[in-house]
Amino acid sequence: MDKLLASLTDALQGTVRTPDQFTASQLQNYGRIFQWTPRFVVYPDSARDVTALIEFCRKNKLSLTNRGSAHSQSQLAINRGGVLVEMKAMNKIGAIDEEALTVDVEAGVVWRDLVHHLARRGLVPRVLTNNLGVTIGGTLSMAGIGVASFKYGSQGDNVVDMDVVTGEGKLVTCSPEKNADLFWGAIAGLGSFGVITRAKLQLRRMKPMTRTYYLLYDDLRVFLDDARMSMDSGTWDHLESWGAPCAQGTRPVSGRRQVFAKWFYPFHLTVEYDEGRPPDDAALLAGLRPYDNVYTDDCPTIDFLERMVPVFELWKKAGTWEFMHPWIECILPWETAADCMEQVLADTPPGIQVGGHVLIWPAKGTTSRSKNFMVPEGENLVGFGLLPAVPQKFWGEMSERFENVSRMMIMFGAKRYLSGWVNFTPDEWKEHFGPRWDEMVALKRRYDPDHILNPGFLPFEARSGAAAGRR
Amino acid sequence: MAVTFGTPAWADALTAEINASSEYRNAAAKWGDGFNGNVILVFDADDQMAQTRSLLIRLSKGTCGGASFLEGGTHPEAGFGLRAPFTTWKDVLERKTMAATAILTGRMKVDGDKMTLLKHTAAHRALVACASAIDTEFPAA
Repeated sequence: MDKLLASLTDALQGTVRTPDQFTASQLQNYGRIFQWTPRFVVYPDSARDVTALIEFCRKNKLSLTNRGSAHSQSQLAINRGGVLVEMKAMNKIGAIDEEALTVDVEAGVVWRDLVHHLARRGLVPRVLTNNLGVTIGGTLSMAGIGVASFKYGSQGDNVVDMDVVTGEGKLVTCSPEKNADLFWGAIAGLGSFGVITRAKLQLRRMKPMTRTYYLLYDDLRVFLDDARMSMDSGTWDHLESWGAPCAQGTRPVSGRRQVFAKWFYPFHLTVEYDEGRPPDDAALLAGLRPYDNVYTDDCPTIDFLERMVPVFELWKKAGTWEFMHPWIECILPWETAADCMEQVLADTPPGIQVGGHVLIWPAKGTTSRSKNFMVPEGENLVGFGLLPAVPQKFWGEMSERFENVSRMMIMFGAKRYLSGWVNFTPDEWKEHFGPRWDEMVALKRRYDPDHILNPGFLPFEARSGAAAGRR
Repeated sequence: MAVTFGTPAWADALTAEINASSEYRNAAAKWGDGFNGNVILVFDADDQMAQTRSLLIRLSKGTCGGASFLEGGTHPEAGFGLRAPFTTWKDVLERKTMAATAILTGRMKVDGDKMTLLKHTAAHRALVACASAIDTEFPAA
């Protein structure tokens, strides 16, 4: 038996797998742009296992990458030559405090499981991502934004405290008050400073039913005016919107005819309510100026939270789930958002709807305290994302265009959301984080001095002779 | 028949291409509306071109009022400038490099209000497409 394998197996209570036992999905993330092979895949049993694993990696100069559902698309949740840690193995839901409205969870808990567990008590996490199939540790490491973020910020803003195993192998409990630098380093920290193993999440009480108004806009600027008014009204529990293309035939682009679209903007406004006490439609919609009021949907709140499931099932059935996903999401300043989106959408073919979509989410610049989740200045912001599914054979001809979309967003003042495909140069990373970058470098030096954690994405400069698996 | 780059005939051919292009007419319908839309393309001297030259293109609301090559890199009638080494321009005109990439990565410098330029990206792309459509003979280095 490989001595290293024997030593690793001895150190852990959890399971260790070797390359002959890896699944194909462990070599890729949802982006399907990179394919890396680790030396070991580990299913930890506890935070103690994670601590032992980090000690093992430091001693043997191996890199360590933790993954939840691996929904990110760049060089995250994959590992080359080191240890890939399947955090989903740590999936215990702990104590619920109905007075303080909190729940303790291990980092590998999938949000969907937590949502259903809490729903029996009429509780729900304050912010949920559209895709509930991702893990708590995964989205906290990214920020985690959703249709209630305009009220509550990111999921990372709704953590009371958490346990993090640092790159030095120390298990540290941290919160905004205690060991705050590690706490805010770990939130949206892309796993750079430690492995989140447990979190206590802030909850809220939910009402059992939702009513959603499906409004449609044909004018982006009117839609944005209404979105801002809706955020400020204090009325709505959830706000969600998209770009929806209506194909218009073909036109020349750089001399070659391409399909193009006129874009419309569905805007879904949701309120929760108690059974038998439906909301007053006219009062809620007063002052809004949609092109059309398409549909009004009543459904149990738990079903509302799962509303994306049929879409994802369709993508899986159609096979586009297996395509490349170079998603480009950003947060735009309110002032430049319409101009940027108009330019980008003018060049976006309606085919993006095949296995993908265009997200637009009105947001507040005042709801997040996260230090690593970078957003532009301003009270109001607009999240904007092109979420394509690209057949592998088209990647060569399309990647430059996607990079230009990202560059254009940034020239309009945007900050990229980092779960997508990000291909920054080191200087572009520094520009992204601004003054925070120097603080992150200092955090890396302090909490992961051997640079073993999640190498390959953020351009921390490693000391020579440090862990394997770095790009 | 190929037209020699840098000649009055090439500038006239570009004017004709622009005015015949529905892509340009649609994409640039608002270019120059309320601001000076004349663009000067500056071809900086490099190992393939001994002397810096430029091309002033008079543009307004989807049409071209004429184009002419100039010595030097500035002109008082220009509202915007795009500047790059001649070799970069040649790559763009031969469709080896996307003009957008050159601009967004800083290999092509913008003189003028960058935001205005960003709001009309399709117009500039269509302009470059018109220039690329000309059967061009580049002078030997």
